[in-house]
Amino acid sequence: MKFVRKTSYDYDLRLFPEPEDRFWYGLLAVALLLAPVLLPPYFLGQAVLVGIYAIAGFGLMLLAGYTGQISLGHAAFFAVGAYTTAVLEKTMPFVLAFPAAGLMAAAVGILVGLPALRLSGIYLAIGTLASSFIVSEVIARWESVTRGASGITVARIRLGDIVLDSDAKLYYLVLAVAVAAFWLGRNILRSPLGIAMMAIRDSQTGAQSVGVPLVRVKLIAFALSAALTGLAGALYAHKIQFIDPDQFTLLLSVELLVVIFIGGIGSLHGCVFGAIFIIILPQVIAIAKDHLPRYLAEQTGLQSAVYATCLIGFILFEPEGLHGIWLKIKRYFSMFPHYQRDSQKQQRSHARGESW
Amino acid sequence: MSLLSADAISLSFGGIRAVDRLSFDVQPGEVFSIIGPNGAGKTSIFNLISRLYPLETGRLSFGGRDLGRLEPHEVASAGIARTFQNIRLFDQASVLTNLMLGRYRHNRASVLAQCLFLPAARRQVLADREKVEQTIDFLKIERYRDKRAGDLSYGVRKIVELGRALVSEPSLLLLDEPSSGLSPEETLGMVFWVEDIRDKLGITVMMIEHDMSLVSSVSSRVLAVNQGSRLALGTAAEVQSDPAVIAAYLGQATPGRGPG
Repeated sequence: MKFVRKTSYDYDLRLFPEPEDRFWYGLLAVALLLAPVLLPPYFLGQAVLVGIYAIAGFGLMLLAGYTGQISLGHAAFFAVGAYTTAVLEKTMPFVLAFPAAGLMAAAVGILVGLPALRLSGIYLAIGTLASSFIVSEVIARWESVTRGASGITVARIRLGDIVLDSDAKLYYLVLAVAVAAFWLGRNILRSPLGIAMMAIRDSQTGAQSVGVPLVRVKLIAFALSAALTGLAGALYAHKIQFIDPDQFTLLLSVELLVVIFIGGIGSLHGCVFGAIFIIILPQVIAIAKDHLPRYLAEQTGLQSAVYATCLIGFILFEPEGLHGIWLKIKRYFSMFPHYQRDSQKQQRSHARGESW
Repeated sequence: MSLLSADAISLSFGGIRAVDRLSFDVQPGEVFSIIGPNGAGKTSIFNLISRLYPLETGRLSFGGRDLGRLEPHEVASAGIARTFQNIRLFDQASVLTNLMLGRYRHNRASVLAQCLFLPAARRQVLADREKVEQTIDFLKIERYRDKRAGDLSYGVRKIVELGRALVSEPSLLLLDEPSSGLSPEETLGMVFWVEDIRDKLGITVMMIEHDMSLVSSVSSRVLAVNQGSRLALGTAAEVQSDPAVIAAYLGQATPGRGPG
């Protein structure tokens, strides 16, 4: 068992306070940097997608997991980011178009957030869903800009003299953005803004009673969340190299919810687990299809049905998600051989929002 | 000059007059208690001060400022802190986080500084942490620091909520039934805390209470209300022997626990 002896308040603020944290994360960093060398090309492409979904997941987690504002329409921000960068890059370089995509998504996030301010629970979910339909309609019909259903081809990213013409090169960019997004999320969570967001999730009246301006903080949460998801969308556009409205449907919003719920709501780490899950799952389904009876394998809604079943299963049986399972595994080893089935239950007396 | 003054304030819910042209004022440094039967409008008075409900008539001013124009969160920024009858803590967060949140109104770090965790944000968080630890010390809740607020017992949650109100360094503290749900020992502890809050921290306290021993021990003045309007206003002894108050609320005037 490990006992931590804290000698300064600074300890609680550090991202990697313990030497062993620094060791394991250092190892992870080396593995991530070497991935393009170690992984076969197909898996590298998948890794890029995992990174993109993780960034979008961080965005949604900030809003839904931390501020408690559930959003069924995050595909809209993903789409805004993708289309903004695709359209702007006809006339300006990536280094300008990329942040612009984030800003544009943030602006749309505020627009979506304004009517959502008074809503909560299922009404909020439906409100965000409706906003997302509005955004996709606008994208589909504003043909002079978005070329409607014909879609837009997206060129490769040019950074100065370097062209990101392979998955390996794109991978490093996505990795950099993912690390930056994770660091941003972590910064917010250890600042007054982050705990204000968590306060809104748990008790709006309580938050008001300590001076938290509900409107301002909720809109900031919407803006930041939309911006991160928008940046993920911009990277996605460059990965796929062709975007059209059909790629940004309700299914994408559901996939993002799967990322945060199955990953573990209340944990930024969880987004990474959730992103891995969401990328692997279709391939598992594809392989499993060969072994399923015909009438099941040929159902068009099979993928959605599997997502839904997994989501419900996790919410019922493993509400802390894959991150929760990961924590159980770590606890098993740190408590060995004293681990019992309910050891994790005690762990819950440590705040969920703190186990990042 | 009074710290808080209420001038003919009213609040109705449909046909029910919760607060009926009530006037009183609270002096700096005193402990001002509000007593009365359930449904008398006591919590509604607090909700009017916190601006959770709008004033129907009259005027509320705090340190000379008109409260009527403020949003609920601005009331906190003005220096008024409160606790709630049914405890509004942040259950998913630790006690430490709950208390840190109490410092929100003192936050000077910009959104950008917080997103990048610039030195300004770091300084802010460390300064808040110092203050929070002082309050943890004062309330003796060190052992609960990292525990999830939702998992704690009722009595401890009440104390944590008191702590959250104290860390904001308010000028006026509104306590809504601080002793309800507490054991007699815990209620005695509350007497000492209210005294310390008044004497050592220099905070003016308004308290809604049913426990008459707590009221008589610490109050400078007591306001008795019934059906939204004033029954009596004076020292604890005066109010407890007022015939109208005895008839409406107290029964025979003996010191000790009141009804409810």
